[in-house]
Amino acid sequence: MNISLNHPLIKKSQSLIALFILCLFISLLSDKFMTSTNLWNVLRQISVNVCISVGMTLVVLMAGIDLSVGSILGLTAAICAGLLKNGLVFESMNLFVGFTVLGAILAAMLIGMALGLFNGWVITKFAIPPFVATLAMLTIARGLTMLYTEGIPISNLGPEFEFIGSGWILGIPVPVWISLIMVLIVVFLTNKTTFGRFIYAIGGNERAAFLSGISINKIKLTVYGIAGMMAAVGGVLVTSRLNSAQPNAGMSYELDSIAAVVIGGTSLSGGVGTVTGTVIGAVIIGVLNNGLVLLDVSPFWQQVVKGIVILLAVIIDKMNQKNK
Amino acid sequence: MKVKQFSLILLTLVFVFGCSSNDKSEKPKIAVVVSTLNNPWFVMLAESAAKNAEKLGYEAKIFDSQNNPAVESDNFENLISSGYDAILLNPTDSDGSISNVLKAKTAGIPVFCMDREINADDAATSQILSDNYSGCVSIGIEFVKELKEKGNYVEILGLVGDNNTWARSGGFHSVVDKFPNLKMVAQQSGNFDRNKAMEVLETIMQANPDIDAVFCGNDAMAMGAFQALQSAGKAYKVKIFGFDGAGDVIEKIREKKIVATGMQFPVVMAQTAAQYADEYFKGRRIFPQRVPVEVELVNAANIKDY
Repeated sequence: MNISLNHPLIKKSQSLIALFILCLFISLLSDKFMTSTNLWNVLRQISVNVCISVGMTLVVLMAGIDLSVGSILGLTAAICAGLLKNGLVFESMNLFVGFTVLGAILAAMLIGMALGLFNGWVITKFAIPPFVATLAMLTIARGLTMLYTEGIPISNLGPEFEFIGSGWILGIPVPVWISLIMVLIVVFLTNKTTFGRFIYAIGGNERAAFLSGISINKIKLTVYGIAGMMAAVGGVLVTSRLNSAQPNAGMSYELDSIAAVVIGGTSLSGGVGTVTGTVIGAVIIGVLNNGLVLLDVSPFWQQVVKGIVILLAVIIDKMNQKNK
Repeated sequence: MKVKQFSLILLTLVFVFGCSSNDKSEKPKIAVVVSTLNNPWFVMLAESAAKNAEKLGYEAKIFDSQNNPAVESDNFENLISSGYDAILLNPTDSDGSISNVLKAKTAGIPVFCMDREINADDAATSQILSDNYSGCVSIGIEFVKELKEKGNYVEILGLVGDNNTWARSGGFHSVVDKFPNLKMVAQQSGNFDRNKAMEVLETIMQANPDIDAVFCGNDAMAMGAFQALQSAGKAYKVKIFGFDGAGDVIEKIREKKIVATGMQFPVVMAQTAAQYADEYFKGRRIFPQRVPVEVELVNAANIKDY
């Protein structure tokens, strides 16, 4: 038994096996789980977390962490909705700039990236631990969101924008398409480019990476920029799904995202992990959320169960590392 | 070295000028301490309290307790030491906030509670309260009437650690549970959040495709429920009930897409609290301990008044 569990193929796909067992378990308890509507619901609901988490994976692979993604999501969501609805008004110049749906989305993504780059700049320039730098950004971005929205949701953003969150293309919900595209881009980046290899190198041994001539700061800056941009994509998805930007959107999403990364087998100490693992992690969380509600488990127990699953994932991961 | 010198000078300056500015200015200062600013409803409560205080000629400042009695406690300590003269409080917790209010009382600062109650009769000077429980009793009565005493329904709770969640749920169930043909098929939390409520209801509808009604612990969640029902093509036959009286839900009631909500009056509560503080400064000392501000049921019958 022990030998078979240590088989490299099983180790590699342990989160997939966990997901399979979870699905099996829930479908035994509820016949509503394995229906196409429900499974599409799950995938649509996790699409936001998937976007954030693939960005987070890159950060964690470098042994960093980004606590600000939820707040960046909130801020970019508000700005996207605000630009779409009210445009930009420069009163002093008597100038009004209107935004199309695409324009507002691009602006939100750029701002997300800028905030992420700022994170990266603080971390590299002042050698501040990522935990602290991004914790500061968590508060700053949330505060800016409150300032921008004055604490009030920005709603009714038009059917075109709503399509992004609620529409279907070729029988697949649009948010699922978008998250899929984001995943493919980041998978390509990590597996097929030198940029990806450098990320693993930095996470594995930063000193060695530095000595072998990798410009660490540039890579870090880019990775935090990507994480910020991914958060903005998540923000666009949430906003269009609700057809409304909520001032508290994205609150504590960073925790779900870190959970997805960890459950997916990425080591918080960096260097080890995959983007696809994170996607499976996000699916596990989504399936778990879905199953607990389908079975009408008390909300009190749901939190306990979710915590236990995260714990189990990390323990299994640790045991595997020891076995190596 | 330079840094040391600079900070020494700064420290001296603080001592010299910091003390001199301690002189009481003419205007009494009123602090508005609110449980959270992450929810539009509370933002409105806090801002109208501050505005009303300023209108009466006082200096007013808003403090955010971030839904945390410990943060509230810090706020109170800071307020007491920086010489505020009255506190308009929206408490974080009915028990957890008592000690904070007592601290202010000991320091001789009157506290006027708004919206949420604290479970003590001798701590706050007066409490101007929104009656969540009886508000949801009215919702419950409307609910029973609309459903003609039978059907399957879903309840979407607010934050499960929040006392308003349970006051609302309790008021609702005190009526609805008397009708055995009204069956609650699922009770889940939507965290007072529009997105969460939408996702939760999407999932619940998979397990229970035939529901007749949804009761939501606040209006943000009622909007989320509406969206979930609308994308499932069921908005026309599932009756939605909310609570708060938020603008977008009022619109939906007008369009007959949401059945009813409980209208709370944050502006009235804020105004009364500021008014009481003003009277306190002018010498009044006897206030009613609890001033209930009724929650009004809004439905198709009276929507034209809103």
